[in-house]
Amino acid sequence: MPRLTQARAVPAPVEAPLGNKDVCKSQRYLNKSMRFLINPECYHKMCSACVDRIFSFGPARCPVAGCTRTLRKNKFREQTFDDIRVEEEVDIRRRVAAVFNRREEEFETLLAYNDYLNDVEDITYNLINKVDVVATNAKLEAYRTANSQSIDANKSIASREAQDHAAQQVAEKDQARMRREAARREDEEERRALVEGRQDVLNKLAHGGGDAEEIAKESHKVTLKKRLDRRAAAERQRQLQSTEATTNGESNGLSGVLIKGLKTKKDDEPEAPFDPFGGLTIELSYTTVQDHYDWDWLNVQRKDVQYTAGGYDFQEFHSRALCEAFSGLGVFIGEEMAAGDGSSDITTAAAAGAATGSKDTAMYDAL
Amino acid sequence: MALSPAATMVTDSVTKAGTVKLSAFSTQKPLEKTSAATIKSLESAPLVNLADQLNDAERRKYVKGKKLGSGQYADVFSAHLSTNPSTLYAIKKIKVIEDFKDGITYDSLREIRFLQELRHPNIILLHTVYSTKNQNLNLVLEYLPGGDLLQLIQDTGGTHYGMADIKAWMAMLCRGVYWCHSNFVLHRDIKPNNLLIAASGEIKLADFGLARSFADPAQPMTYNTITKWYRPPELYYQAAHYGGAVDVWSVGCVFAELVGRRVFLGAIPDTDVNMVGAICNAVGTPTEDNWPGVSKLRGYIPVDAADVKPVRGKEHWMQQFRAVGELGVDLMMRMFALDPNARCGMEQALRHPWWTAEPRPSRNEDLPRRGGGVRQMGEDLKRRGGELPVEEEGRADKVARKLDFGAMKV
Repeated sequence: MPRLTQARAVPAPVEAPLGNKDVCKSQRYLNKSMRFLINPECYHKMCSACVDRIFSFGPARCPVAGCTRTLRKNKFREQTFDDIRVEEEVDIRRRVAAVFNRREEEFETLLAYNDYLNDVEDITYNLINKVDVVATNAKLEAYRTANSQSIDANKSIASREAQDHAAQQVAEKDQARMRREAARREDEEERRALVEGRQDVLNKLAHGGGDAEEIAKESHKVTLKKRLDRRAAAERQRQLQSTEATTNGESNGLSGVLIKGLKTKKDDEPEAPFDPFGGLTIELSYTTVQDHYDWDWLNVQRKDVQYTAGGYDFQEFHSRALCEAFSGLGVFIGEEMAAGDGSSDITTAAAAGAATGSKDTAMYDAL
Repeated sequence: MALSPAATMVTDSVTKAGTVKLSAFSTQKPLEKTSAATIKSLESAPLVNLADQLNDAERRKYVKGKKLGSGQYADVFSAHLSTNPSTLYAIKKIKVIEDFKDGITYDSLREIRFLQELRHPNIILLHTVYSTKNQNLNLVLEYLPGGDLLQLIQDTGGTHYGMADIKAWMAMLCRGVYWCHSNFVLHRDIKPNNLLIAASGEIKLADFGLARSFADPAQPMTYNTITKWYRPPELYYQAAHYGGAVDVWSVGCVFAELVGRRVFLGAIPDTDVNMVGAICNAVGTPTEDNWPGVSKLRGYIPVDAADVKPVRGKEHWMQQFRAVGELGVDLMMRMFALDPNARCGMEQALRHPWWTAEPRPSRNEDLPRRGGGVRQMGEDLKRRGGELPVEEEGRADKVARKLDFGAMKV
């Protein structure tokens, strides 16, 4: 059923704040260290003591009255959300998202991607609100089996991205820390230099060498110079670090540092079907060769068995004769000159030569 | 570059040749790109005539290096640009033959003529031609260090390849031959050792020493062409008027040799009669039924009705060439049609479904290769058209490979 036409299901019943359950009737009020566990099979809540007691010896039925599910101990876990319905919904969403993990770049248009997301949301909604659960689950499984390969591929991409992201965050944090430290060190040094300078001035004044005004100016100059030097050094250091970061960044992925905005590598495009002609087509642009030319001289030979049995191809003769007749047409010297092709005149000469070429071959063939 | 009126080329994804940048296919090739400036600068040179000056300018562009191979007909050197030592070339220096009165030989003339017009990734690229002292011709060719296809075929111990590799090589070969045919050039000497391998793994059709352009109807062509083991039956029957189908047969022979890793149609000694016998055995006996008009050909050898071997069926071919699958065998059978009119053309061959069927042809970089190919390039380029490769010069001349072949023959 379409999700939009359906009213949202009734809100979940509010749980007792103290986690009162029918299994052993114990309450957190009585035992502060009590842990409540749930099983994603039926989401019934029970305390860890009950879980140990009932499920230690293998799978057993849920002890809640009216629940017929068989539960296993290893599936029990602590609840993340207070509202058990939210907990269930998150689980379902996680399960659906693991199967329907297509990525936006796989779609040709944003609209297609949005449609896909809408379909996925329909399935999720049905599972959460128990509408057509059997059919929806069947659909999910069918999709999983049909697309296992792409699901796995996308999963690995996603996990790689997650890793990259984590590594990036660690690297950024590290850099920020280093920057902070450097700034602190610099401050400290500056302060120390200031104190030293002041002491120096005092000493000089105490020893009574020269004009007080002069000495003060001198020391001020020295501190200023020092500060500038330090600042330049810090700038250099920073530049060095940033270049290091970019050079390290080339090895993306598991190596640690990474570049932002890298597209995840995709498989090669499927190869185009093999073309036996290698992309070459030959079209006659000036002539169309007819099947038959009525020419007495040719007709005689066409009937001669020496020609027919020898495999002489009159069609080849027709097209060659036409080609030679029209050779040189389509060569526009003016255009070629305008195009600035330095070799144009030679080309044209060659074309003219080729047109007459077959004549002189004849002389030395009949050996 | 001007478009030839014959053909408009639409190139999408044509692979670039190894060290050479090909901007487009073209039928014509400017041989000498000497600008006016260089001509002017040469005016001060002692050479009197402009042709000599141009030739000299071209010669100075290259620095000859080590000799890669030497034969009766030509020497092959490695070379590089004088301005950039990392751009490598091979220079084929054609020797002047003393007792040949008419100047340069037909072979070299043909080679220059056709190579300078054909530019294709699967055809060896001729950069330029110049002459040195004694009128020796120097052909500056593409540097192809990968050896030749014959080496790979014969290296049964070390080189292993599969259907995808065969398909890739055949596709390149067929493209090269298709390009020749669509520019009206018959290669007439297609064989594995004329297929050189570039550094990129691409194969290149080389040795245009026997090539010629398609003949006019009244003009007879020689039937004594194409290396014997790769020669089609119509040439053994001395047909003087033939077409592109002769090259297709040779391509088929290379195909079969690639799969079987031994010469497909071979006979020792390779007399015409023996060779026709080999063809009859492997493919079938040509008769008036499967080849209308064959008995009228000049060199036709009549066969007794009892000795006629029927044209081999698909099962027979499948037995030998199972490795290329049913479609591959189908293509091979079309290339081995006895009647040249029934043989598939190069374009038809490239339209065959085998190319697009599984497995996809290997990419160039995945093709098997063998080291030490530079010397082989020297060996291949020095040879004269129609010659078989010689393993050892001298005493055992031409014997080595034949013995080898005899051992392989079942």
